[in-house]
Amino acid sequence: MIAYVTRRLLLLVPVLLGVSIGSFALLHLVPGDPAQILAGQEATEEVLTRIRHEHGLDRPLPIQYAVYLGNAVQGNLGISIQSRQPVATLIAQRFPFTLRLAFLAILVSAALGVVAGVVAATRRNSMLDLAALLGSLVGISLPIFWLGLLMMLVFSVRLQWFPAGGSGTAAHLVLPALVLGAASSGVIARMTRASMLEVLRQDYVRTARAKGLREQIVIYRHALKNAMIPILTVFGLEFGYNLGGAVLTETVFSLPGIGRLIVEGIFARDYPVVQGAMLVVATTFVAVNLLTDIAYALFDPRIRYD
Amino acid sequence: MRRAPALFLTVMLLGLAALSMTGPTAAQQAVRGGTLTFATGADPDSLDPQNTQSNPGEQVNRMMHENLVRFSTSMQLEPALAESWSSSKDGLTWTFKLRKGVKFHDGTPFDAKAVKYFFDRVLGDEKPFKASLYAPVVQSAEVVDPSTVRVTLKQPFGAFLFIMAHSAGAIVSPAAHQKWGKDLALHPVGTGPFKFVEWVKGDHVTMERNDAYWGGAPNLDRVVVKTVREDQARVLMLESGGADLIVNIPTEEIPRLKKDPRFVIESNATARALFIVMNVKKKPFDDVHVRQALNYAVNRDAIVKELFQNNAQVIPGPVSPLQNGYANLTGYAYDPKKAKDLLAKAGKSSLKVKLWSPKGRFVKDYELAQAVQQDLAAVGVEATLSTMEWGAYLAATKAPADNTDRELFLLGWSPSTGEARWGMFPILHSSQLAPKGDNRGFFVSKPLDDAIDKATLAATEPARLGALRESQQIAINEAPYIFLISPNMVVGSSKKLHGVVNLPLELTYLSEKSWKEK
Repeated sequence: MIAYVTRRLLLLVPVLLGVSIGSFALLHLVPGDPAQILAGQEATEEVLTRIRHEHGLDRPLPIQYAVYLGNAVQGNLGISIQSRQPVATLIAQRFPFTLRLAFLAILVSAALGVVAGVVAATRRNSMLDLAALLGSLVGISLPIFWLGLLMMLVFSVRLQWFPAGGSGTAAHLVLPALVLGAASSGVIARMTRASMLEVLRQDYVRTARAKGLREQIVIYRHALKNAMIPILTVFGLEFGYNLGGAVLTETVFSLPGIGRLIVEGIFARDYPVVQGAMLVVATTFVAVNLLTDIAYALFDPRIRYD
Repeated sequence: MRRAPALFLTVMLLGLAALSMTGPTAAQQAVRGGTLTFATGADPDSLDPQNTQSNPGEQVNRMMHENLVRFSTSMQLEPALAESWSSSKDGLTWTFKLRKGVKFHDGTPFDAKAVKYFFDRVLGDEKPFKASLYAPVVQSAEVVDPSTVRVTLKQPFGAFLFIMAHSAGAIVSPAAHQKWGKDLALHPVGTGPFKFVEWVKGDHVTMERNDAYWGGAPNLDRVVVKTVREDQARVLMLESGGADLIVNIPTEEIPRLKKDPRFVIESNATARALFIVMNVKKKPFDDVHVRQALNYAVNRDAIVKELFQNNAQVIPGPVSPLQNGYANLTGYAYDPKKAKDLLAKAGKSSLKVKLWSPKGRFVKDYELAQAVQQDLAAVGVEATLSTMEWGAYLAATKAPADNTDRELFLLGWSPSTGEARWGMFPILHSSQLAPKGDNRGFFVSKPLDDAIDKATLAATEPARLGALRESQQIAINEAPYIFLISPNMVVGSSKKLHGVVNLPLELTYLSEKSWKEK
């Protein structure tokens, strides 16, 4: 087990190296001058030159990358061009918002998705099944932007139950979590249904029923547990996406999370911020996938990592 | 039963009448206290006024800091930290009499030494971003007595008071600057009506009342400026009561919000000019007849009325009416026939051009470019319209002449000093050619250069205004741009909020007089 985890963690090195090269190259391929964006249209050439020099943007690209990599290896992600704050500080400020949001959203999608999937699978071809299928399709297809604004209209403007965006209290997270959770719950519901149908056809389910076990136990203890592996995979992926890519939700609800940090960084050509945040997102993605793989073993004792 | 709706309607109307009678009819007594939430589209870039470059930053700074002189909402100069001022005949020496008994938020006294400290900072080695406003103009500053400062200029400068009223002319506490250095941006200390509490990046800035404010203690207890990027989300925040004040309301939401009795929607003219720059290094835009023809081709009145629903105004030249020094000259009237004639005379009866526009940087920018595209098509000029993200757009429109295929491109310019010299010099003077400067269309005219220089060096007000008028006339005649419109700033607030300051420099902020009904 430990050897396996170590091996997986070692794989992080090439992944992060790839991400750093990729994000660096892509960012610098995009036209636009961070100094000009920072200093505005009115800035004089003297000011622009000074900003470029201060952030080493006047040096050749390979050297810029080498300097960046050298610092990053020592844990120094650099200074934001826009705000002059250390990138690590910015990420540390933003990441908790994203983490909380992603966690709540995955709870929402687990509750909605798994229940809907199980119900649909056990009552295959019924109206409930159809409703669940349709609901999940709607969940997948609805643009987050639209759903978010609609929720704000209903729950903030009309009913005044929750604040219309911003952050600070737990109430601020309810709507974003629902919106983000709804999007992934559709995928999870479909995966749960398909996986459950597969399992319900197995001999051991028939055996369990033949033993006279209650249907509840058959479904939740015998079938669902065995159907969990593919569902877990989707969970892991969705959670990973939410951690790095909840940009739309964060934008609609004005949550200062990491997704927005990246997008705003791209618009401002704030190279250090985008590169640093990409590294963090890549790391969490790998970590979440690793945790998912480890979790397989909990549900299926046949899976061993050694 | 058939009478019920009528009865219902009567009751409703009576109710409404009663409501409007209890509403804010007479001038109301200001109420003390309360927290105001202001939702704006972007985070401040800095809270150190000498290093701040963006409107979201400037408007927050203006609540905490003050200048020697300030702009009124009609862009006239009025006393602030200086009670009076005078200049020598040659325009080289300016003497400011300072307000006495004023203290910075950290207790440091505001006096001549603090003002000198400001000048030493912008003229010295630190070179904050906005030093470029002062360094070319100011020679030095000296303390005459604790409440008198004398400033010596390098050459007469007609717009000196305007650069002093610029957001970057705010006087910060010398003690705070010494203590924090570059981190002053995170620990602002001024003399303004509101004191800094905290800045959570990407989320909000909180300020609280400065009870020692020289203009009287402010009414509001706290001001929270929240960053809400999504336009629609800001509107929803206003509607749900999550924000008392919002800016940059999408044009299509204005009519609906205006009808809602809970809100006040204010549409105010700004100093910004929007125009389409022509690259005069590319044929046929080197020909003044072609440039004039394109100006005649555009129906500005229709654009203002249809596209902007009157939340904009036509501008005759490069300067908008709220820039100090604007001359009310005749621009290009809509005359497609004349446009066609001029094009025919230039031998360009049909023309294919490239038209670029940003999308979302200015109000309705892309739609504006589309309207121009249609008008141009009507006179035989076929324009292909393309857009770019703002950062890329800025870079692409600033590339050197031999390394670009740009022809027509939409841009906006709002002189941050609020006066017309800065409305023309950076974008039309031949010393400012791209990629070094902001003259992105490579327009060069000796007469225009001379007229702008005359305005720059003017020692008297009539000389300044005269030279600015001459400059605008030359610019109109030469037509380096397709002059378009000046868009309004549209600000929405709860009806319970009073005394919001909307400066035509697209800055919205609160003053000590602002207050909120309970």
